[in-house]
Amino acid sequence: MVWPGRFRLSVSVSDKPPVGPDTREILRQPTVAIQAGPPLGTVRVQWERAPAVAVIHQTLPHAAIWMSPAAVSNLREAERSFLLVVLVFVLRRLGWYHVHGATFIDPSGRGWLLPGSSRSGKSTTTALLASRGWEVGTDDIGFLVNRGSAVATLGFHSRIALRSGALELLRLGDGLLLAHRRKEGFSPEELGGTWVPEVIPRVIAFPRIGERTSMALMAPGESLSSLVKWSHWVLYEPVHSQEHLDALGRVAAQARCYDLTLGPDLFDNPDLLLELTQ
Amino acid sequence: MTVKFRRHPDLRLTALAGEGVVLHLGARRYFTVTETGLTILEALASPKTLDELADAIVEEYDVDRAKAIESTKAFLDQCRASGLLVEEAQ
Repeated sequence: MVWPGRFRLSVSVSDKPPVGPDTREILRQPTVAIQAGPPLGTVRVQWERAPAVAVIHQTLPHAAIWMSPAAVSNLREAERSFLLVVLVFVLRRLGWYHVHGATFIDPSGRGWLLPGSSRSGKSTTTALLASRGWEVGTDDIGFLVNRGSAVATLGFHSRIALRSGALELLRLGDGLLLAHRRKEGFSPEELGGTWVPEVIPRVIAFPRIGERTSMALMAPGESLSSLVKWSHWVLYEPVHSQEHLDALGRVAAQARCYDLTLGPDLFDNPDLLLELTQ
Repeated sequence: MTVKFRRHPDLRLTALAGEGVVLHLGARRYFTVTETGLTILEALASPKTLDELADAIVEEYDVDRAKAIESTKAFLDQCRASGLLVEEAQ
């Protein structure tokens, strides 16, 4: 992974937060409370599982993070929620725009992006396709970046996190237990695939679980508004939102966008996704 | 009294294949609009009257002026209801 530039996360640990109150409107996301935009311009992220607060500079990729000893003792969970949100805002200042989705490259070299919720089948599909030799970028957290005239999605090399139901469908044995997420994790390589850091999406499919696997082309406006939903930090911070929105528009324009229903039949015929997008 | 409209400063717009998406950062909501709606909102970067907007629509889409006024007014009503506009009486 090549980072987009230098950024700074200054972390202090103490019993008392060094930052004062913030009177801006509080926006709640799962486990974090966020205050952003005018009049201060900074972003304040507060963790709700244990005392921890971060203040992100208005324009520079700098974050001052305070964590209580209780938060530090729960660092693994903080990484997946509080610190991830901080990183999302910091990287946005360097032109990396978070998207909640899975990415992979099919055997013909075509990039895929599956933006969707954590119960939409993204990780199970990623694991299934990895077992068929597809290259995997990420099963959950991607960052959109400009690459000349195209927009690519970057992902970190991490384990694909699967619930017990998915393990049965995929007929998988024990993976690495991810106790904090109540899932088991498999690297793409353990499943027969490979990891790839960068995917240029040419197919964007918004998944949901259903009876039978099918794909329906989406209207341009519908696909773009769906991307906004899964890259919703675009709705924060006036100074950064237009560039973020433009990146969403460009990635939607370079791809064919589908409404994707994932059915159990996909496990019998994983090549169905290729057939449906011919 | 003349009423001029301009788009709310919290709006961000982008176009894709003849459609548009509008973000309202203050309300943290987003909307899909038609190509014509996007043209109107783009024009409303600076204050415009209904007549001025209708002129822009007639010129861009070669439509009947009465029809342009009717559809522009309907779109402005929708935008007003969603908090996308600022109105200035002059």
